[in-house]
Amino acid sequence: MAKSLGIFVTNPDNFAHVLGITKAAKAKGSKVKVFFTWTATHNAKDQAFPELCELADDVSICVDSYKKQGYDIEDIPQGLTAKEMATQAQHGIIIEDYDCYISL
Amino acid sequence: MKVLNVYRSEPDETVKKLVEIVTRDRDSDSFDLYGASPDYDTLVDKIFDADQTICWW
Amino acid sequence: MEYKKCIFIYRHKDYAVDGMRSALGLAVENMYSYGVVMDAEMEKLDEHNMESLEMLRDMEGEIYSTIPANVEKNGLESIDLEELGEKLRDMDIIVPYGLK
Repeated sequence: MAKSLGIFVTNPDNFAHVLGITKAAKAKGSKVKVFFTWTATHNAKDQAFPELCELADDVSICVDSYKKQGYDIEDIPQGLTAKEMATQAQHGIIIEDYDCYISL
Repeated sequence: MKVLNVYRSEPDETVKKLVEIVTRDRDSDSFDLYGASPDYDTLVDKIFDADQTICWW
Repeated sequence: MEYKKCIFIYRHKDYAVDGMRSALGLAVENMYSYGVVMDAEMEKLDEHNMESLEMLRDMEGEIYSTIPANVEKNGLESIDLEELGEKLRDMDIIVPYGLK
């Protein structure tokens, strides 16, 4: 059984790495959770973001960061649901519940 | 304890110093994420093999 | 139960204040949570952010800085690179945060 992997994203320029690592981990049968915060919430508007949401088991963003980056919190990015517009608690879940961790 | 150091850009002196201290007397590995077309498959294997992954800027 | 120890490292001033919020977020989740401001001189923290720093300290967290101006201006705890390296050895999670 493959290990599970949590990815914490704080750099807006690393989306290609997020996607690449998620694809590789899923190909190995891993469970993957991704959480975006601060300026990395801009990634939710990347055209490949819905693909990431399809691939990963769980994707969420920090709603407070999203708002501070100038977005309307009613404008839920494609691929997410309202409950995935979340808080830093998601980062805590990654650390506590996933076998492996990487920040990007 | 096995530490994996992932570099998103070429490590500067500050990062090199921190890595030197963190990996002292420990098993360690590294992966360069800043080259063209990184091998994500290899990176994920290394992450799974390590006890801790640090992804430097 | 053993509580996890996490540290965020900030090298860009635009990421330090929000990164402190991420540190506080983990402290609330019952982890030992720390931050370190390197390289960048921060603005003086406003009242809201000072309150966040105090909340973090109430939960046994701390924000350190290698920059004397941040220690003087914002009351951060001073640390040098060697000390930081030793502290990192004790951490479960190390997050080089945001941009360099």
